[in-house]
Amino acid sequence: MSERRIGVFICHCGGNISDYVDVAAVRDAIKDEPDVVVAETTIFACADATQTDMVQAIRDHNLDGLVVASCSPKLHTFTFRGVSRRAGMNPYLYTQVNIREQNSWAHTDDHEGATRKAIQLVRAGIAKTRLSTPLTPLEVETTPKTLVIGGGIAGLRAAVGLADIGLGVFLIEKEAEIGGWVKKFGTMYPSGRQGGKLIDELIEEVRRRPEIAVFTNAELISKSGSFGNYKVEIKISGEKSMGLALDVGSIVVATGFDTYQPEVGEYGYGIDGVVTLPKFKQMVDSAKGELVYHGRPVKNIAYIYCVGSRQPEGNAYCSRYCCAATVHASLEVADVDPSIHQYHLYRDIRTYGKFELMYTQSRERGSVYMKYPEETPPSVSRRSSGQLTVTTHDLLTGGEELEIPVDLVVLVTGMVPRKNETLTSALKLPVGSDGFYNEIHPKLRPVETVVDGVMIAGACQGPKSSYESVASGLAAVTQSATMLKKGVAELDPMVAQVTPESCTMCGLCEETCPYDAVSRTEFEDREVAQINAAVCKGCGGCAPICPEDAIDLRGYTDAQIRAMIENLAEVPVV
Amino acid sequence: MDYDVLVVGSGIAGMESAIKLGDMGKKVLMVEREGSVGGRVILLSKVFPTLDCASCITTPRMAASIHHDNITPWTYSEVEAIRRNPDGSFKVTVQRKARYVDEAACTGCQLCEPACTVAVPDEFNYDLIARRAAYIPFPQAVPKKAVIQREGTSPCTDTCPAGIKAHGYVSLTRSGKYEEAFQLILEATPLVGTLGRACYAPCEGECTRGDLEGTLPIRRIKRFVADRHYASYDGPNVTPDEPNGKAVAIVGSGPAGLTAAWQLARKGYRVKIFEADKEPGGFLRYALPTYRLPQEVVAQDIANVTALGVEIAVNAPVQDLDALKLDGFDAVLLATGTPLSTSMGVPGEQMKGVLGGLDFLRDVRHGTVPEMRGKKVVIVGGGNVAMDAARTSRRLGAQETLVAYRRGREEMPAHKAEVDDAEAEGVKFQFLVAPVEVVGDASGKVTGLRCQRMELGQPDASGRRRPQPVPGSDFVIPCDVVVAAIGMSPDTAMFTRLLSLGEGRRIKVDAKTLQTEVPYIFAAGDVVTGPSDITQAVGHGRRAAHFIDRWLQDQPMDGFFALDDRLAVIDKAKVMARQKSFSHRDPVTLSLQHEVAPQDFHEIEPALTEEEALRGAGSCLDCGVCSECGQCVAVCPPDAIHLDAKPETFELEVGAVVLATGFKLFDAALKEDYGFGKYPNVITATQMDRQLAPTRPFNNILRPSDGRVPDRIAYVSCVGSRDKTVGNPLCSKICCMYTAKQNQLIMGALPLADVSVHYMDVRAAGKRYEEFYEQAKAMGANYIKGRVSKITELENGNLILRYEDIDQGGAITEAEYDLVVLAVGVQPNHEAEKLFPDETLHLDDFFFVNEQNDDLSPGETNLPGVFVAGAASGAKDIVDSILHAGSAVAQAASHLEKASAKKVSV
Repeated sequence: MSERRIGVFICHCGGNISDYVDVAAVRDAIKDEPDVVVAETTIFACADATQTDMVQAIRDHNLDGLVVASCSPKLHTFTFRGVSRRAGMNPYLYTQVNIREQNSWAHTDDHEGATRKAIQLVRAGIAKTRLSTPLTPLEVETTPKTLVIGGGIAGLRAAVGLADIGLGVFLIEKEAEIGGWVKKFGTMYPSGRQGGKLIDELIEEVRRRPEIAVFTNAELISKSGSFGNYKVEIKISGEKSMGLALDVGSIVVATGFDTYQPEVGEYGYGIDGVVTLPKFKQMVDSAKGELVYHGRPVKNIAYIYCVGSRQPEGNAYCSRYCCAATVHASLEVADVDPSIHQYHLYRDIRTYGKFELMYTQSRERGSVYMKYPEETPPSVSRRSSGQLTVTTHDLLTGGEELEIPVDLVVLVTGMVPRKNETLTSALKLPVGSDGFYNEIHPKLRPVETVVDGVMIAGACQGPKSSYESVASGLAAVTQSATMLKKGVAELDPMVAQVTPESCTMCGLCEETCPYDAVSRTEFEDREVAQINAAVCKGCGGCAPICPEDAIDLRGYTDAQIRAMIENLAEVPVV
Repeated sequence: MDYDVLVVGSGIAGMESAIKLGDMGKKVLMVEREGSVGGRVILLSKVFPTLDCASCITTPRMAASIHHDNITPWTYSEVEAIRRNPDGSFKVTVQRKARYVDEAACTGCQLCEPACTVAVPDEFNYDLIARRAAYIPFPQAVPKKAVIQREGTSPCTDTCPAGIKAHGYVSLTRSGKYEEAFQLILEATPLVGTLGRACYAPCEGECTRGDLEGTLPIRRIKRFVADRHYASYDGPNVTPDEPNGKAVAIVGSGPAGLTAAWQLARKGYRVKIFEADKEPGGFLRYALPTYRLPQEVVAQDIANVTALGVEIAVNAPVQDLDALKLDGFDAVLLATGTPLSTSMGVPGEQMKGVLGGLDFLRDVRHGTVPEMRGKKVVIVGGGNVAMDAARTSRRLGAQETLVAYRRGREEMPAHKAEVDDAEAEGVKFQFLVAPVEVVGDASGKVTGLRCQRMELGQPDASGRRRPQPVPGSDFVIPCDVVVAAIGMSPDTAMFTRLLSLGEGRRIKVDAKTLQTEVPYIFAAGDVVTGPSDITQAVGHGRRAAHFIDRWLQDQPMDGFFALDDRLAVIDKAKVMARQKSFSHRDPVTLSLQHEVAPQDFHEIEPALTEEEALRGAGSCLDCGVCSECGQCVAVCPPDAIHLDAKPETFELEVGAVVLATGFKLFDAALKEDYGFGKYPNVITATQMDRQLAPTRPFNNILRPSDGRVPDRIAYVSCVGSRDKTVGNPLCSKICCMYTAKQNQLIMGALPLADVSVHYMDVRAAGKRYEEFYEQAKAMGANYIKGRVSKITELENGNLILRYEDIDQGGAITEAEYDLVVLAVGVQPNHEAEKLFPDETLHLDDFFFVNEQNDDLSPGETNLPGVFVAGAASGAKDIVDSILHAGSAVAQAASHLEKASAKKVSV
């Protein structure tokens, strides 16, 4: 076995690990392992000071292997690769061992067992590191162009933003016209400007920028290549259907939302006089002097909140924008005709932040707010007299049952994810339990997805106000720029590779690869498989399927995995 | 252009902005006012709705923000001004505050923290616990470099003419480090025991605690540590530097001469003192009566000096300075004081029974004083020497002692305590009288003093009203002895061959360096200043020693940080404002029982007991925060701490600005009905978050009053939000969610605890937020709709909440809890608006930075090229701050792109 010089750092994680794992015992257990020259414990491995210590240790001891036993590799892989790089060691000679999520947190009731397990996990990590080899990321030049999918307010603003930082933009819109929902909206909050005007302004900005090419009636059909150099196929339908192949470096998905469509009978939906919020908004936006529904003046309105949202069965999520939108609509109603009585039947009014001012104003201008109990929501019926009536309990006035005769019932419906199966599967976009596209990290990386170079912006990621959609559109611009303004992209070198001597070109790997990374090439006068490192994602699907063991995954070679298993098992594998 | 973008603030929005701009290839200067990047997020326990550990998700960003090739991170720095250049770029002024720690040398070992003797509320733990004045903000700090918090020189230290670090020895004493306290004073002067008794303690006059219950007994603490030292050490316990081969002669062994000798000897000089009298000490020996300053104390202090090898020649008046030079001394210091009593200049002064004030005191010490028993004594003058003479005459058995002074009691130059003590010992006073003639009998013996009455006219140059004689008011005070204690002057006639004299026959020197016109001769103390006091003489002696050393070492004549160029004194109002609530401290006072006719010269003032010393020192308010005790400097392994460091100011050119100045939390004390600050078991949610964090201050959730683990915990929502009574009608957005998060964490940590939330609306608006709130309820959090009107405290520290229970028909209900957590909201912090001296940054109606075009350009301010990111523009949670920063960055990058295009086209 080759002589290696490996440093091992075992983290307390404050108390997250050391409350359950005896980290000093772990260190003592592994410090005399072959090839281990540094074995230390640390309060926070990720703290900058510890990173500095690690750099020093790597240099002082001339290490060619680093094991950090702390948390999930999802958190700190890049942190410690960075440490290795700063110390002048190849970053791929470092191994992350998870003794937190997969150990201390899972075994809070068994300190001894957790300590034993930690020792085995660290041993396995050392074994893997012993067989590690230096890897170099593939550097590829990137295409300084971005594809924006969706011509709503988020997509349009993103297109303008991208052009303004010097990137080429293709904007595709499924509909015949760009502008999305906001184009149809009247007064917006909080600015009080007209939605249509905002979109007109943006479209004008788009026109003024030659860097932006807009395609309507256009849909993405497929995507290939890798981050920095995607090839996308666009289908343009209409009178002259045509296909388009574009080269782009990144993709911003801004496909927006649909509105919740209540079932017939849901809160009286289907009864004449029961409308959804978007419908009502149109009525209000077009009202002049009085509010009219089907030719009859509206003098009494009941709003029922959370229709289709926050439901134990159905959509569990809160649709975020509807409270503020409804409260805002009630102010517009008061502007149209202050004598209209407005009753808001709600669960919680979620006018967060500065939207709270609208809520206060709405109450000041006469809107009546009634909180209904979750377990007995309001019901809507049309009486034999023909009177539309809402029956509810108002917790704010003692919970008594009230019957409210009204002219109009507005069902405050929220946003739902748009059905976009072609796009979702072409881009391999992850979808959350709520049906919206999922970001890579909901806190810190809200516009990135697990697909490198594919961003999500606006309400396709989750319900948002127009203002928030625009902000996320611009955040996606920033993210694109960080990837494309450098001109080159580094691709992860932990990809599959073929040993051509062993390959029989049976074709199983070709079939199994989800990324079309396998192609054929000549080797010693015969055909063998070859893997395009720029396309391979390192998923490892091909390696176990190869009957000849001709495929290995760099960074996770069979030999490494075997060595890990041997160290994890109590009895060495014979 | 120095940087493409200035990012102000390094919270989550600031770091995101800087990293994203850096990734785009822009050069970024990120300025953070605290000692570490990271803002508030790093202080959190976990984040909603993922329950990721806040440290885990923040530390990589913190590290990235300072290791990034394109980011220059300046922590502990403040942007002072941002000014627009004609071409649209900006000139920014940034101050790198003095950290007093060399960032390059500091290893983050944290040894300075336990060595520090000052504790202040730890803002990084939201005041739950204390931290030291020498501190690393928190365990994950980036960079992990210490900061010494110096807000100013403490008033006691600042006022000391001797440059003694009064605050320092007080804080050392408080920490039980008595010998260290003694050593700190020794850094200024060997006269520790002397000053502990005979100093007039201007420090106590400046003590901020003096404006509350009464000053700390600062001088007596000094005596305490001196007594402790002398009881256990033989000598000063100081090792001087290796001899440097140079010699200094000092003429005079008073406080200035002794101090200078001490300082020079420590530095390795051979020092010899020439004393004209038969014992060393000058005024300490001959002028100060022993009931104030026992002789053995003076002897101990002087022994400090001789222990370092200083030779003191007595009965050795110096006439010829040149001779000293020829004897091999490289420099000479004249510190001969003011040994001559000023005469009254009235007829009859030559009569038997008329004595000069100083002569009188000196004769007492020499044992040559005339018999006083049964005599009537008149002391002329109103200064300290007059008081000493008067009180001494009481002890010598004078039948009556009368002080005659030409102005009123208020105008007396003597310290008030001296006057009061003299009066307590039976000394009588006659004010507004001036001597005109000493009256005697035929044998030339005094029989009386003819005086005339005075009245006070206009103020003179000293600000005191000038006494004017009342014509025809003469009268005679019958007496046997007249002591003329009206002034003193130097005896410098023998030096005039080399040196020219100034007013009052004082030696002329350079005021800063105390060097005379003959370079090798320096002069210090009263011979330069005229009559002053011990501390002034000590200060002068230090100064002379410093500059003699500089001169002899061929160094520039500067660097006297002991007294020159110190950090400005802290504003007492700031000290008071910093105290969130004052706890009363009984002052350590001194009440002496004076004898009306004291019989001997025993020391009057008792020593402080150890308990009194600790209690007295313990009530220090730590005005300047750092006490300059020097312990951190002493323990720092790489010698990285320099308390003389100065802030540095830089002017830089930048292309665009991102303001990520964050927010402040609502001060819960303003909501008086909830009793925060009054009831210990009412805490804020930020304090609870710290209790739940991996770097938590305690190892469990504890309630402050008794350290018990609480069983019943209540949350009160919307504290400082949605509340016109506190001037904030806005919703703070984050509180509902952090409440739901803390509920879950508490139920994990304390499975048996009941958690209730008193809320108005639960605002779980955001991706997976509603589900997160439902999860908290499913785990057992009890949500109660209705506002809390009042919180009252029971004797056992429990709290009664009075609230409306809307789910139960709106009944007014009361419930008892062990701990109440206030979900405090977000407020603007007014930081960003101060940065633009030449233009106005627009704010919204609630003083958040206004986004003039928020529909299409979130983050754009009214100032071109200036963008706002994160909660500076209004309450935002982490993900909204990240998105907002992304938006601001996109526009900042676009601004730079346009600016460079313009430049190219020009």
